[in-house]
Amino acid sequence: MERTTQLSEAEIGNLVDAFYAKVRADAALGPVFDRAISDWGPHLETMRKFWSSVMLTSGRYKGNPVAVHHRVQGIDIALFDRWLALFDETCREMFDAELTASFNDKAARIAESLKLALFYRPDRPWPPIRAS
Amino acid sequence: MTFVVTDNCIKCKYMDCVEVCPVDCFYEGENMLVIHPDECIDCGVCEPECPAEAIVPDTQGGLDDWLKLNAEFAKVWPNITIKREPPADAKEFDGVAGKLANFFSPKPGQGD
Repeated sequence: MERTTQLSEAEIGNLVDAFYAKVRADAALGPVFDRAISDWGPHLETMRKFWSSVMLTSGRYKGNPVAVHHRVQGIDIALFDRWLALFDETCREMFDAELTASFNDKAARIAESLKLALFYRPDRPWPPIRAS
Repeated sequence: MTFVVTDNCIKCKYMDCVEVCPVDCFYEGENMLVIHPDECIDCGVCEPECPAEAIVPDTQGGLDDWLKLNAEFAKVWPNITIKREPPADAKEFDGVAGKLANFFSPKPGQGD
């Protein structure tokens, strides 16, 4: 059934909490996030504000995610696909297909931007050829 | 990938975009704004907010000159994150064709 009410801040909060619980438990993503984030409370609040800004145009988040990701040790381009898969899985558990697609669309665009910012080199092919 | 500010921002400069941008990637010239392509995360939040419909995704074709202009002036104009009053004659210039050739100013705006 299609939803008739607008996405709420509370639902975004629940999504962020559920998603990052999966991230921390994930064999590939967990160690990278736990090394980068010493205090999860403020990080979850930052992510609630971020998704509120992106999905509800609330202007609650102000930051520079490109610079932040440049500082993350052990960040690897393949981790972005794993992140997107877990995000999709979490959205499906909480939202209908339309809203899930809307979150996935934003997440995929933002992920591509961050990947370009972190890994694009003018003298190499894009997307990078994966080592098998 | 990035969004790009194009012709119809010139002399309209409504600035609704700067309030919603999560990553503060707008830079202010005397009579238009530009997006810093290395800071934009392609979230698309600004696009529907622009009353002049001047913000477009770079996946749209034919934007090479605008991409260059955005990248060039984002480096030298001041950052803007707080909306001010648009120019008094913004409405009169909304939709006027060829504003880049006739009205564009390379001078910096005041910023925040």
